[in-house]
Amino acid sequence: MSTESTARPIVASPPPRSDSEQTLRLKKALLQDIRRSVYVFRIDSGGCNACDIEIFAAITPVFDVERFGIKVVPSPRHADVILCTGAMTRAMRMPALRAYDAAPDPKIVVAYGACGCSGGIFHDLYCVWGGIDKIIPVDVYIPGCPPTPPATIYGFALALGMLDQKLKASHHVEAQDEQVAVSHPRIPYALRTALEREARRMAGYRQGREIANNFMTLLERDEARPLTQRVDEFVARENDPRLTEIVRNLEAICIGGNGAEP
Amino acid sequence: MFKLLKEVFRTGNATVRYPFAPLPTSPNFRGKPQYDPERCIACAACTIACPANALSMKTDVAAGKRTWEICFGRCVFCGRCEEVCPTHAIALSPEYELAVLDRADLYQTAEFSLAACRICDTPFAPRKEIDYVVALLINAGLPEAVAEQRRAMLEVCPACKRRDEVSRESGFSGLHHIGMTP
Repeated sequence: MSTESTARPIVASPPPRSDSEQTLRLKKALLQDIRRSVYVFRIDSGGCNACDIEIFAAITPVFDVERFGIKVVPSPRHADVILCTGAMTRAMRMPALRAYDAAPDPKIVVAYGACGCSGGIFHDLYCVWGGIDKIIPVDVYIPGCPPTPPATIYGFALALGMLDQKLKASHHVEAQDEQVAVSHPRIPYALRTALEREARRMAGYRQGREIANNFMTLLERDEARPLTQRVDEFVARENDPRLTEIVRNLEAICIGGNGAEP
Repeated sequence: MFKLLKEVFRTGNATVRYPFAPLPTSPNFRGKPQYDPERCIACAACTIACPANALSMKTDVAAGKRTWEICFGRCVFCGRCEEVCPTHAIALSPEYELAVLDRADLYQTAEFSLAACRICDTPFAPRKEIDYVVALLINAGLPEAVAEQRRAMLEVCPACKRRDEVSRESGFSGLHHIGMTP
């Protein structure tokens, strides 16, 4: 279902670019001994512009990447870093390659956003190559849809060797007799589903689930005191009229609907 | 000039200190999906819900294994996996520092064993999922002995169940073989 889309054979297609040994050496030297500002050229290879907006947000005074000397330049001939957004569409493939070839070696390529990293939500479209690295060698991947300005800063800090990488590949193998316990086991099954359904109906899928979960934790804890008192305290603490309405509905289900207060 | 300087000092510094100091995220921030493989029952609900196919599952019947995989490079942080997960095994966290130098680091995988069908002996469903269903039945009020008896039916693959249905029509039930009266 979600296999990596392989590069399709195209008539008169330029070969994918790759780095030579010497370029790789030069790249390493550039990363370690850069004693000046880093010039970034941005290529939009078929993105939706959300990534580009976030890049501009990163150069505004609030996040201000220019304090690290990272500067967006208007020509690939000045670039040290090439920042590629978008899923690499058929239409933008040649302009992107021309910009890449125009930049002087050594150059660092950053794949920006979910589309740049792997094609994102467009990965299996007919006109999409599915990621920058299908045709250009990529050095840094910044995932996100779009990456927030701090994620952008982190990506650049990683590219320039200022910060360490946090995400690591991991593989888990199921242990013998690994079991999953039912959550909130002391609340009756029918009540549990009724609570979750009502919370999701009122608050939408993600928050609804969170609210139902919090409410059920509240039900199970401190059972000596009456439920109404506990709910009153919770509502007063949260002080949110929207949450109050939902929690009151859940309370009504507990007391009225099933009569099954644990 | 003095007026300008006064304005500058009054405004102060608007720039965040981010790489040198942690930046607080808002409470509903949708960041990296945090996955707990020990709570996962490999039911594949998240892989069906995932709009970007960042989550995928591969079943290897010959080895009796099912492999769950997430590619953070493809994730669009929509939170649908969190919505559908029946066991709270996956939830979005405020973690946003996901940039990597090597593409392989964008992948997280987990491997689960499959239970074999009691009749045809072909692996067909994750063992943890069947255990979870039995635990849920017991929690819903079914006596433990009855729930364990139901397990015999749960551990029969759909193809064998269908075959059994047909043979029952003709007066013979294959499930009798494993001590399960229909």
